[in-house]
Amino acid sequence: MTLSEFFVNYGGIFFAGLGASLAVLLSGVGSAKGIGIVGEATSGLVIEEPEKFGKSLILQLLPGTQGLYGFVIGLFVMAKLNSNMGIAEGLYLFAACLPVGIVGLMSAVYQGRVSAAGISILAKNEDHFFKGVIYAVMVETYALLAFVISIILLNAVNF
Amino acid sequence: MAIVKMSSFSLLAFDSERDKLLGRLQNFGYVHFNNPDESLLEEGLEPVSIPESIGEVDEEISKVKYAIEVLSKYYEKETGIKAMIKGLDTLEFEELEEKAKNIDYIPTYERLRELTLGLDDVNSKSKSLEENRDELLLWKRLRYPIEELDNFKQLEVFMGTIPKKMKASFDDALLSLSLTYVEEISDDKDSSYIYGVTWKEEVDTFNEILRNNGFSRIKLSGTKTPEEEIKLIDDSLDKLKLKGEDILESIKGLSGNLPEFEIVYEYLMNKKLKLMTSENFVTTEKVNLIRGYIPTDKKDAFKSLIDETLEDAYYINIEDAELDDPNVPVLLENSKFNQNFESLTEMYSLPKYNEIDPTPFLTPFYLIFFGMMGADFGYGLIMLIGTFIALKMFNLNDGSRKFLKFFHYLSYSVMAWGLVYGSIFGGIVPSPIKALINPAEEYNSLLVLSIIFGIFHIFYGLAINAYMSIRDGRPLDALYDVGFWFLALLGSIGFLLAMVIDIPLVIKNISLLMMIIGMAGIVLFGARDAKNIGGRLAGGVYELYGISGYIGDFVSYSRLMALGLSGGFIASSINLMAGMAAESGPIGIFFGAIIFIIGQAFNFGLSILSAYVHTIRLTFVEFFGKFYEGGGVRFKQFRSNTKYINLK
Repeated sequence: MTLSEFFVNYGGIFFAGLGASLAVLLSGVGSAKGIGIVGEATSGLVIEEPEKFGKSLILQLLPGTQGLYGFVIGLFVMAKLNSNMGIAEGLYLFAACLPVGIVGLMSAVYQGRVSAAGISILAKNEDHFFKGVIYAVMVETYALLAFVISIILLNAVNF
Repeated sequence: MAIVKMSSFSLLAFDSERDKLLGRLQNFGYVHFNNPDESLLEEGLEPVSIPESIGEVDEEISKVKYAIEVLSKYYEKETGIKAMIKGLDTLEFEELEEKAKNIDYIPTYERLRELTLGLDDVNSKSKSLEENRDELLLWKRLRYPIEELDNFKQLEVFMGTIPKKMKASFDDALLSLSLTYVEEISDDKDSSYIYGVTWKEEVDTFNEILRNNGFSRIKLSGTKTPEEEIKLIDDSLDKLKLKGEDILESIKGLSGNLPEFEIVYEYLMNKKLKLMTSENFVTTEKVNLIRGYIPTDKKDAFKSLIDETLEDAYYINIEDAELDDPNVPVLLENSKFNQNFESLTEMYSLPKYNEIDPTPFLTPFYLIFFGMMGADFGYGLIMLIGTFIALKMFNLNDGSRKFLKFFHYLSYSVMAWGLVYGSIFGGIVPSPIKALINPAEEYNSLLVLSIIFGIFHIFYGLAINAYMSIRDGRPLDALYDVGFWFLALLGSIGFLLAMVIDIPLVIKNISLLMMIIGMAGIVLFGARDAKNIGGRLAGGVYELYGISGYIGDFVSYSRLMALGLSGGFIASSINLMAGMAAESGPIGIFFGAIIFIIGQAFNFGLSILSAYVHTIRLTFVEFFGKFYEGGGVRFKQFRSNTKYINLK
């Protein structure tokens, strides 16, 4: 089988599968990095004030949602996979995965940075800790919009 | 319902009466003092200096703090849920004062101080003994009394360490000596512990060898053989340990006094505040001038309190606070339902005294929007039950109680929207009633609904702005700043709709007319403060450009749809995974159940947090942006913030 034959026969499922992988992969990498950034910032705080661990965990988990969004998209694409898929459908599903993957990757890292900055609010003025959470969640808005568009795209067209 | 009316007062009273007066005022509580007026200081009045007794109070506070710190380690307090059920004691201010005055904590403090010093002493002694012991352990094989080692006539004894790296060359060098005996007693990571005995004649050579090989001498303390010395040390360590335990027992015996110290602490903190407050006053030689604010409805009580305390020796002037004075402190008062939402207003910024309290206005929208974003009957039910149990069982302070009630009310909205969307734990339980909107299919109508909500929200905010202008006697501002925007926005919405869907031509034309009048009005009057006509028109055009901001505002409400959708989809994909696991037999059902519980719990937390935050954003940015500025000064009660009790 030549490469072109392969794409004619299996191109659909290949691209759909690639899309699902990228959705999970990119947003997962972003979340891992975001959570990592906050984790590094938090450890210093917990040395001095271990009782703030619970609250710092909230800040750390915030950049974790992008990975979850990507995972859900991956799952939805998986439910649609079959080996006879046309190449058009495969490419369409691939495209639908891009928003959550790419926005997830970038926004999780930025959200991680904002959360890490929120750690200093937690350290110095615990009463206003929640304002740090709000700043961080604001970043997530765009991951959320990307997620919703990915979902709508997945459901919008039936091949 | 809204911002509490304030009265400002100026009180002249004798300096000698100040302490008594402040005491009574602190009991009264509802007094907010002004910072001293610069102009008065320029006229030759002196600021009142903080009484010297503040030093004593500070010293007392540090003692009490110390005692609390030590005792709280040993005080057996209920923890977790039990502690929450019990909560903090609530005391009236007078009760606190009376209780604190009856507590003589000094003897307990001194006893405690003595005990902790004793404990420190025991600990440091044991530590040095242990160090000693560790050193002796290395020489345990030396079976000779330590004191006799230095008493030989013909021999000299060397004890010490040489680095392991040098051991080989050291051994080599020793071969040249015949009247010297060297033995390695023990070793650790880097050093060998050796002792050597040498005849007087060879001492110098031996010394030379030792010096060349990095020898460092060790002098053992004690008299008997190392082994016997170790035994002696062990005995003293045992005794010290017992003594330490004794002291600890005694400290634990004192821990019952912790609540007393806590009460004294709160009392002292209030006393300190009372003394510090004097800073805000100015004085002549004998007479203090005290200025501040009280809520107007407490005016009579305040007057009679002053009268009672100072008898006839005072002069007071109370008048309604200036509406536009930025120094007037702000206290919010809302209905039992609305006051649970005050925390949102406070989080943004308290209103200025001449503004409006936005709490009652934001409440209905907050309820609707939060529910729309949370939107799951199951999640709402958990919130409802959780907050209900917590409110019934726990003894909470005012702030936490309001916060829980806030979520309690929100839970109804979450449940209602859950039914609208037909979602119970992401659809694992079939909804008893037919869903009005199926979010997965009808996201378009959901988006339209969200934006319609947004239009209402924003127009409502603009209407409040107009109301405030009219209330303050500026009806034209209401027309220019709000009326024209209403026309322009409504007109453009109608006009644009007419292009997309089929509506009668009349409406389209009316819309067009409204839009044109509105926009013209904005261009002509938007920058009416400008000096010349050119600047005014340019400013007006710039104002009109603000319409793009409105487009952004409306689109922002799409998050209402987005959050509702994402929560639902994540919940259903958790169910999907749990279902896949459950298909593979009994163990699968077990894992499926775990996936379901953990996944749903996670999504619950995420949904509620997102709903909370994003509704705040819609309120603060889109809604408050239209009419609310904030920046008021908080009314500070003449009480310190309590830590261990609730003060009424």
